[in-house]
Parts: sequence; C-alpha cells; structure tokens
Amino acid sequence: MTAASFTLKCPFDLFDILFDKNYNKVVRGSPMSDQVTRVVIVGGGSAGWLTAGIIAASRLGQVQVTLIESPDISPIGVGEGTWPTMRSTLQLIGVSETDFFRECDASFKQGSKFSRWTSLSAEDDYYHPFTVPAKYHEIDLAPFWLPFKEKINFANAVCPQGAICDLGLAPKLITTPEYGGVLNYGYHLDAGKFAPFLHKHCVEKLDVNYIRANVTQINSRDNGDIQSVTTDLQGDVTGDLFIDCTGLGSLLLGKHYGIAFIARNNILFNDTALAVQIPYSSTTDNIASHTLSTAQTAGWIWDIGIQSRRGVGHVFSSAHTTIERAEQELRSYIQPAVGEKMAESMAIRKISINPGHREIFWYKNCAAIGLAAGFIEPLEATALVLIELSAKMIADQFPANRSTMDIVAKRFNSALSHHWQRIIEFLKLHYVLTKRTDTDYWIDNCRSESIPENLQELLELWKFQSPWLHDETLRIEMFPSASYQYIYYGMSHTIDAPGNKNNSKLHQAENLFMENGKTIQQLAKVLQPNRELIEKIKEHGLQKI
Amino acid sequence: MPNFVLLNNVAHKNLRVIRDYYPRYGDNEMSAITFAHEFRAIQNEYPIFFQKNPENGKFIPVALLGLRQNENLFLSERGWDAQYIPASIKRRPFLIGIQATKPGQDNNQPGRMVYVDMDSPRVNETQGDAVFLPHGGYSAYLDSVVELLKYIQYGTELNERFIDVLLHYELLEVVTLEITLKNGNRNNLAGFYTINEEKLNALDGNAVSDLHSKGLLQFIYMMLASHSNVVKLIARIETRIQQNAP
Repeated sequence: MTAASFTLKCPFDLFDILFDKNYNKVVRGSPMSDQVTRVVIVGGGSAGWLTAGIIAASRLGQVQVTLIESPDISPIGVGEGTWPTMRSTLQLIGVSETDFFRECDASFKQGSKFSRWTSLSAEDDYYHPFTVPAKYHEIDLAPFWLPFKEKINFANAVCPQGAICDLGLAPKLITTPEYGGVLNYGYHLDAGKFAPFLHKHCVEKLDVNYIRANVTQINSRDNGDIQSVTTDLQGDVTGDLFIDCTGLGSLLLGKHYGIAFIARNNILFNDTALAVQIPYSSTTDNIASHTLSTAQTAGWIWDIGIQSRRGVGHVFSSAHTTIERAEQELRSYIQPAVGEKMAESMAIRKISINPGHREIFWYKNCAAIGLAAGFIEPLEATALVLIELSAKMIADQFPANRSTMDIVAKRFNSALSHHWQRIIEFLKLHYVLTKRTDTDYWIDNCRSESIPENLQELLELWKFQSPWLHDETLRIEMFPSASYQYIYYGMSHTIDAPGNKNNSKLHQAENLFMENGKTIQQLAKVLQPNRELIEKIKEHGLQKI
Repeated sequence: MPNFVLLNNVAHKNLRVIRDYYPRYGDNEMSAITFAHEFRAIQNEYPIFFQKNPENGKFIPVALLGLRQNENLFLSERGWDAQYIPASIKRRPFLIGIQATKPGQDNNQPGRMVYVDMDSPRVNETQGDAVFLPHGGYSAYLDSVVELLKYIQYGTELNERFIDVLLHYELLEVVTLEITLKNGNRNNLAGFYTINEEKLNALDGNAVSDLHSKGLLQFIYMMLASHSNVVKLIARIETRIQQNAP
C-alpha cells in the first residue's frame, strides 16, 4: 500500500506556508523605507476582483489589497468564456468549485467549435479543443494523419474531446474531485454574477479592503509615481502599487500617464459587437460544453451556453457591413431557437471594440489589467485568461521594494507585449486560412498588408513542416503550438512536404489513432450529459479529494 | 435491473428466499457497503475503505471483498467463506423504502416499508426460507430481516454523520493499493480513500474530544486496523492461483 496520490496539482503546500503563523500578520499603516506592501486596485468587475483575489491569496499577510469600485460605473460584463487556467486560478483564490457552479450560473467549456470559417458549406466545422493531441510532446501526429484527412478530421483523430462535445457530455464525473477533470476544461459563466461572487470571497476570506467610491483625482509623488487617489466618498487612498482595472476608461495608465494606445484594427477588423441573451426552450435542454462560433458575411456569431440561458453575439467589422445588416444576421441566427416573433423583438446590446492595446502595461508604480490594458474580439476568449496571467505575474514576482519594481515592470511589459502580439497573430490565423471569397470582408482579411510579418513567415514555414514545438518561443506560450495545429488542420490546410514526419514513429502513430477511437467509446459510456452533471454538482457538491 | 415491489402477505404469501451465497446470485462484487457500527465485526475479516457513490459522489465505507472487478475472494461454489457476512449483503433481496406521507394521514412521519426485489434469483416459491407464515404472519426469518433493515437504516444515517465529521476535519485521503503477486502480476486499485494518519495524529485535543464525544473515534481506529486484512485478501488470491495451477 502506498500513500495518497492525486493527479491534480494542488496549491496546498503554498497555502500551508501562507497560513503559517509567522506570516499571519497583515502589514498595515505606513511601510518602512520603500517596501511595497499596499496594493490599490482601481475598478471592480471581473478584472478588478480576479486581480484582487489572485494577489491577496498569493500574498496573504504580506500585502494589503484595497479595491476601489465606482458605484456609478457598471462593469461591461464581457468575457463569459474561460480557459482551463481558471480552475487553478479559482483554486488559488480558495473558492470551492461547487460554490462557483451554484452561484455563477457556470457550465463547462471544453473548447471552441468553428463553423463555416473555411467555406460556406453547412458541413464546414472544426474543433479547437482544450486537450492537446495524444503524446503531443513525444510525437507530432499531424503528418501521420494527413493521408487520412478525407476520412477523419484532425481533432477527432488525435483527441477525444471534439467527439465528446458533439455528444453533449461533461468533461468529468460526479466522483471526480473539485477542479479535477477526465478531460481538460474551463468554464462558461455569467460575468454579472462572477464579479460579485469573487467580491464576497475576497472581502470575507482574503482580507481585501473594499471602498465604494468614485476616484476624482490622482495625486503624484515627486518621482512621478502615484501616491494616492482621491475619492468622492472615502477621502484619499494611499498605495505603493496601483492597478488600473478601470476598463475602457483606463483612468490611470491611459488618462493619467497618457500611455499610448496601439490600434490593431489594421489586422483584426472587427470593431462592434451586438449581444443578446436567449432562453432555453425548456429547462431540460442540454447545455453545449463548447463555444460555438459561426462565421457570417462580415464577422462571426458567438454562442455560449450557461445554466439559465444562452449568450449570443455578433461581432463584426463596421467597415464591411451596416449595423442593420449585422443585427439582421444575429436575429436570423437566434430564430430557430426562439421563434420568429421573439427573434425580431429581443433587446440587443451594442458593444464597441477598439481592437488594440496599450504600448506598455506597467509604468512607474501603475500596472493595467483587463480592458484598461487592451481589448480584442472574443474569438478565443482571451479576456479573462489575460487578466489571470497578468495578475499571477504580479503576484508571483511581487516587487519587494520600489527599487526592484522597475525591473519587474520591464519583464511584465516584455511578456505582455509578446502575448498580445501572439494573440493577435493567432486570431488572425483563423481569418487568413479561409477559402471564403463571398464578401470583401473575407477577401480583405487575406490581403498580405493586413497580416503581421511573423505570421506570414509562419505560414510560409508551415507549407513544408507542420506547426509544432519549435514554434514556441516562451516557456509558457498562451497558445501552444498544438492550438496552431488544431486551427491549421481544422481549416483544411495541408503541408506539401511533411518535414517532421519521422517514419520510424509510424507504428506509434497508428496505435495512438486507434487508442483515441477506443477512448472516445469508453468515455461516451461513462460520462453524462452536461446539464445532468451540473444539476448533480449543485445538489450534492463535488468532493475536495 | 432490480425490480423492487412493496412486500405484502397477499401477493407474496408463498414467497421463499434462498439464503445461500453464490456467484450465480450476483454476490461476486469486489466490495460491499458497510456501516460504522458494523466495523467491529467487519474489521476482523475485511479491509475497510471509502469509495464514492457513483450517483452523487458522496463517500461510503465499503468492505473490500476482492482486488479486481467482479472478484469476491470469499465466495466460491462452496458458498461464502467468512465468519461474518456484511449486513448490506445479508439483507438481499430486501430493502427498506420510505413512503411519503399521504395527505390526511394521522402521523407526519414517512412510513418505512419493506420492499423485495422480485427479479432476484434468490426469490422463488419452492426453495429456501418462507417469508410469511401460512396464515400470513411474519416468519422468524422476516422478523430478522426487518431488524437487519432497521440496523442498515440507522447505519446509513450514522455513516453520513461519520463522513461529515471526517470531511470537516479533512481527515480523508486518496489511497492507491499497489499489489504485486508472487508470480509478478501487478494490480493497482484506484478509487479508494482512507483516513490520513498524519492528519489524525496532528488533531488537537478539542478535535479528538469532539470525535470521541460523538462516538466516532473508535470507528476511525477500527478502520485503520482493518487495513492489515489486505494481506489476507492477497493470501486468498495466492491460494486460488496455486489451486488453479496445473
């Protein structure tokens, strides 16, 4: 008999250390010399509260976190899809997954399905699942799959997740512990419920100081740092590090420091979204566990199922269509679900997107997270994951004092610039691989002047070798090369001379394809439909182990 | 699929139940649910672990009977070779059902009724022990079944209290049984949980006193002591392998 083993890596060790008596002392009042102990987050919403939770939980007892939220500005509430990273984020913050399902209207997300992106054919679709191809770090299966591309699509050949999504099955069982999965997963959630859920936990469990007031003035130190912000109801709030989570207003980094905004609408044209919430036809309708993204004439429509409703939205390029036409496409999309009458009358909310990001993300003693840092169409649900990644970077490399802050800021800026560049390239990849020529939108998207140079080089390279590990430059890329494979082969692109096909691995590849088929069959037997599992979780809860 | 119907002395007046245990009666499971107040009897022969109920993910204590799916090492064509048969096995083919109160009924307590699985191969009209006396009264056997079902009913509630407290003190941990037989065959048993002894030993006086005053402390130690029975299970396998050897 051996001791306990548990596949999911828990941050319990970290928590044991953090809860140690020696650290269990919150530092308050004015700090010694130039120590950094007071973090002031300006703005609530998903960005503010995730950042507060991540920093407070990682630095409990060492750093005091204050969050100032305006009573007058409501969060924009975009970002209803997460990456699998959200599981470790929620676990780090210390909330229970059961509570999260009960309170945030949450459901499972196992990836995205893209429909009609390559052609107008009704059968044109492919998955970008959250699970990487089998034995991805040992073998590149793509060249071995190519001869069979007419028989089976890439995702279904190398990974069971697309088939499981098509069957409407959940990625885990009621016996799987909290945050553990049979298949990799993230969530769909109600952003309007998520922020209050985090708010409550941050204030009650993580000692986050909450101030409900409007920031009216920003007060500087001699060195140009922000010393404090003045609020209309609660006086001055002094801090050592300020985090700008004020959304599109970008009050600190944008307005106060005047950090330039770099527009990327020359690459990604979509600048407007129309969003609508539609009910299920009955409370027993299954919930899709993937984001469905269906290409339109000048944009695409997202379709996200949470427990109580579906969130549907059309994001499009206003230069390529009219708002009336875009609205009509959206209403036609929802008509089969809600009927003609309701489809024509449902209230639609308009969101403007100025695609792009700040030139830098941390200046002096102020970092920006969330929409204050940048905004891009939600094609690969990058909003929340960028918040998590940014806040974790600050929490993990938290500057001990003002002198080291600039070094950390420099790293933060370099990493975030890289991530933004790769996100934009990766989103653009979805457009440049299209074979659609039905509208100027698709034709313009393929014009070389709209394609970043690095992506052009990759596309040239992939004519001869498939995207794989050599394409990853950072230790942790937001989109691993496996994601590039799913999009590249999902959109029916093939390589002329498969450079990384190692024929000595043919046998292993064939076995992996066969095993994948068996895995799909086994999983189909044991997994249950999404809604059934979510109802069970709400009723019985998930165990912690 | 079991087919449970409410037991009554009219429809079931000739009902008989075979009380022997054989693989053909579906008794060849690798584990059987047990109850905290039964641990004293169980721990003498079977290892006790927790498993999760596949329906709701809740922990339930089980007596381990075998080391592979559908393997009960106590069971053979000669019957069940043990001093004590777990109550959850012994109750077969009966179980207790809770009937909701009907409106207008005097007492507000839901009625506890005895159900019988009419599809059980144990149930027939020719062999085994009679359930009812000729004039319709309870046989001594049925009396004992009712007592057993009450015992199980209480045990189910006790288990819930026991597990709630274990979860409260975070005393459960995952356990993987790695078994290597003399012939080199290896077998890994997953999906079991037990008491984390390190955490148990680190409990402060108040926690121990709480467990003791609730009458639950003894169950923890009986469970831990029962683990040495894994060796007995392995010995049974080794014996079977030897007997089957040419």
